[in-house]
Amino acid sequence: MTLQILLAISAILFAFGLTAVLSRSNAIMILIGIELMLGAANLNFLAFWRFSENPAALVGVLFAIFSIAIAAAEAAVGLAIIILVHRKARSVEVDDTNQLKG
Amino acid sequence: MMCEFLKTCCTDPMKIIGEWLVLLPAIVLLLAAAASVVMRNLIHAALCLTLSFIALGIVFIALGAEFVGFVQLLVYVGAVAMILVFAILLTRPEQLTKSGTLFSGLGPAGGALAGFASLVVLLAFIFTSPVAKKPLPAPVSAPVAAIGEALMGDYVVALLLIGVLLTAALVGAAVLAMEDKKP
Repeated sequence: MTLQILLAISAILFAFGLTAVLSRSNAIMILIGIELMLGAANLNFLAFWRFSENPAALVGVLFAIFSIAIAAAEAAVGLAIIILVHRKARSVEVDDTNQLKG
Repeated sequence: MMCEFLKTCCTDPMKIIGEWLVLLPAIVLLLAAAASVVMRNLIHAALCLTLSFIALGIVFIALGAEFVGFVQLLVYVGAVAMILVFAILLTRPEQLTKSGTLFSGLGPAGGALAGFASLVVLLAFIFTSPVAKKPLPAPVSAPVAAIGEALMGDYVVALLLIGVLLTAALVGAAVLAMEDKKP
């Protein structure tokens, strides 16, 4: 178990999240991709903490806790926005919300 | 490599178990995340995402950060996944015959290419950096008492700010999603 294996796992998870954000058309699917990317970043923080010279300082652990809290707040606000868009435009596909298109 | 594996099995079995305690949930995590990204049905995608969150929580616990692992299970699986499922149920397309397009933006090929390109760049950095070649240090522990002392001591400003942010975000989300009251 080297640091490289843990970072590679987190990089693969990040790539999956990036693929979901860039290619899916449903807004909730894009949010799922964002959550995958945030999970990959948390795994990175904890992997570096596990291999650090001073793990008693708990920097990685606290960073991951704050990151989880922020991700929860962002998911709540994002989903509220998606529900509001569905109420007005009757659809959550990102292709359908194009009223401002020139 | 096989002889090394068998030798470690005889002399130090806990090391092998310790390694697979991290690798097995990590494999489940990657498979569930891949399934979640390509699923056609949104509810199935959300359930695969829940499975990947559970696996990620187990990975955190296996790495020694038990508190973060349980926070992950409570917050992500218990709150974020549930609110995701509720939002999917509330935003169903009305005409059941109309199904939205599955892909948009770069399309499946473009998205996969972008993800693969970013993965190649990241792996190149990971496997050529000298920092990442460290061997595994002694098992570390993150006792909850120490986390509490750090949060209330050195990181108290961040703790208060995150409280304000969570309050503002959740009140804002509730206001956004409220029905307009007709006079």
